[in-house]
Amino acid sequence: MVPIYYNVRSLLVRKANTIATAFGIALVVFVLASSQMLANGLSKTMGRSGRDDQAIVLRKGSDAELSSGIDLSLVNQVLAAPGVQRDGSGQPVGVGEVVLILAMNRQGQQEQLSNVTVRGTTAEALALRSEVRIVEGRKPSPGTDEVLIGRPLVGEYPGMTLGGRFVLNKNREAHVVGVFEANGSVFESEIWADVDTVRSAFGRQQMVNSVTVALASPAQFTEFQAAVEGDKRLGLLAQRQSDFFEKQSEGSVLFLSILGGIIVVFFSIGAMIGAMNTMYAAVQSRRKEIGTLRALGFSRFAVMRSFVLESFVLALVGGGLGTLASLGMGAVEFSMMNVSSWSEITFHFEPEPAILVRSLLVGGLMGLLGGFFPALRAASVSPLAAMRD
Amino acid sequence: MNLATVAVKNIRRHVLRNTLTILGVGVATLAFILLRTTLSAWAIGTENAAKDRIATRHKVTFIIPLPSRYVQEVRAVDGVQAATWMNWFGGRVPGREEDFFASMACDPETLFQVYDELQVVPEQRQAFMENRQGALVGEVIAKQFGWQVGDQVTLEGSLYPGTWRFTVEGIYRASRRSLDQSSFFFHWNYLNERADPLLKDQVGWIVSRVANADKAALVSKTIDQHFDVRDIQTLSMSERAVNASFMSMLATILKALDFISLVVVVIMMLILGNTIAMGVRERTREYGALRAIGFLPQHLAGFVLGEAALIGALGGLVGTALAIPLVDGAMGPFVEENFSSLFPYFRIQLKDVLYALLVATVGALLAAGFPARQASNLRVSEALRRVA
Repeated sequence: MVPIYYNVRSLLVRKANTIATAFGIALVVFVLASSQMLANGLSKTMGRSGRDDQAIVLRKGSDAELSSGIDLSLVNQVLAAPGVQRDGSGQPVGVGEVVLILAMNRQGQQEQLSNVTVRGTTAEALALRSEVRIVEGRKPSPGTDEVLIGRPLVGEYPGMTLGGRFVLNKNREAHVVGVFEANGSVFESEIWADVDTVRSAFGRQQMVNSVTVALASPAQFTEFQAAVEGDKRLGLLAQRQSDFFEKQSEGSVLFLSILGGIIVVFFSIGAMIGAMNTMYAAVQSRRKEIGTLRALGFSRFAVMRSFVLESFVLALVGGGLGTLASLGMGAVEFSMMNVSSWSEITFHFEPEPAILVRSLLVGGLMGLLGGFFPALRAASVSPLAAMRD
Repeated sequence: MNLATVAVKNIRRHVLRNTLTILGVGVATLAFILLRTTLSAWAIGTENAAKDRIATRHKVTFIIPLPSRYVQEVRAVDGVQAATWMNWFGGRVPGREEDFFASMACDPETLFQVYDELQVVPEQRQAFMENRQGALVGEVIAKQFGWQVGDQVTLEGSLYPGTWRFTVEGIYRASRRSLDQSSFFFHWNYLNERADPLLKDQVGWIVSRVANADKAALVSKTIDQHFDVRDIQTLSMSERAVNASFMSMLATILKALDFISLVVVVIMMLILGNTIAMGVRERTREYGALRAIGFLPQHLAGFVLGEAALIGALGGLVGTALAIPLVDGAMGPFVEENFSSLFPYFRIQLKDVLYALLVATVGALLAAGFPARQASNLRVSEALRRVA
């Protein structure tokens, strides 16, 4: 076998070409890894919001809280259903919530409206969603205009700071008394206000958008679902919360994945052609060396393997650089409108070992494929002819 | 023998390498055109949006409707020529819930006054107006679901629960791109009479047409001021502003696409620059000889740049030749049919093609800058001595 040292030295001799080719592959791998990290970040953010020991009830036919509406009188019926967990005093753990989106101007951008979700809820929501932690300020007092805001909203919109005030609806101001974190879940992109305050501010006295309950155990979902959906006249639909949130992000995740996929296919072809060209030139200018190797007794296969390996090493170096660079994207925050909920959600590029390994392998594969034909040509160099050149 | 001939002859010396490079530039151009087409298709809604139409909605949240009496009041505002209203219905075809399309209750009388680009055969239009359960559907969704005039269609409501039956009375086309061809319109009266008492006599949003498009901003302001004293206040924006605001919610995605199209250009330049640099290195002795017989450094730089520009331009053309059938022939119709809500029109635009060709050529020249400098800086004696 031709020692790999030979290949490394060869790559170092042609520095400019090596750098250009490796950099090209690095860029492709960077985009590949980043786009996967983005889709992963979105689905993780949504995934963290949903738990399998909780269930959400919407009106049948709605696929989001926004388009759902449940008559207030039905809330207690849902809470009383079998399978719902009960607290020490025998009260069911669950909450009926009003969800609205507010059009708001981003700080410093008068012309641009963003949609921010407002959740009208009660103190029970904090007990229900134990991942929610107030990191600044305090709990709002029930029945007042006091609200909590998610950490990513702070400073994004006018009045969105601890102690700040902003307008909910005409003559209805909200007063920010606390900032919360929720383990990176989608709730962090929301404003949490008192349910009665939101209802009266927007004239929604008669209804809630959803009812969320804690299940006594994840297995009891079936029992709960049967009870809630059993009475067809109610027209309700129960979903495990984890399934619900997964569905919520399906569209956007699919969109990001398709977009990333298409881009990466084209990019890979480009980078492969780059590697192929570099390797063809390498074979061309090293004909004499190849002839010598063959004359020394290295087989055609050994020569071929050596060149494929060289291309592979080149691509791995590029791929490694690209993967490393993509890790830097982990610090970047990305916010976009979630297609199904119409509201803005904030998430991160989220790295995962599988994504990094996959990207690196795709980089290596570009090298293997790009190096194959040039290596074939190298193997076909006749020692006699080459040494006569 | 001019520069172009030299460039062509030089390219023919390395047929394989240069074919690959042209292909590489071609694929990059194709990706570039694809990205620009996506960005343009997104912007089309804004660019083609009617400037003389104003949409009026609830000030804080578009989920909450307006009282239907607001329509009359908007009509009375100075500068408003005609006004109509719509309610978002959000219906799905049972069994095909995944296929999203816009379904709206409308007022047929005034709909055509405000949307003059809505084109329907007169008999169909008449039939739609007369049938309380009639529906007017866009050509794109009619094709997607295989609907024909006279067909019975059932939709499952979400905001308005239950099963709703319609008869397709007309299939419309849009004479301008300010309207998509994938919406489902039906009578507001039909919706209103069956709606829950809480949802009765309410309109989702009001669309009005102004006499003078330049006054759209002013009229919007007048409308909002008129309702400012009420409990339910309004937010009025020209259709263009509505679209722009929708676009701004996707701003980060657009920025990402913009960034990626820049990365494409860099990759293209790397492939091309690498090829040119290899050529220059191999021809070092030749350049020495050329210098020795009297060619000036700028001549050599010219040869290198000319070759690069030609490869870049050829690659750009190859990319365009690949992109046109791919996008206009295959992807465009597919996207328009399946993602009509995001991209009602997905076609290659001339400006994007020209932009791509320009980027390919200029990018090639920039990428060849360094090798061209190397070639022109060669010292004759050294170049002749060098073993490539």
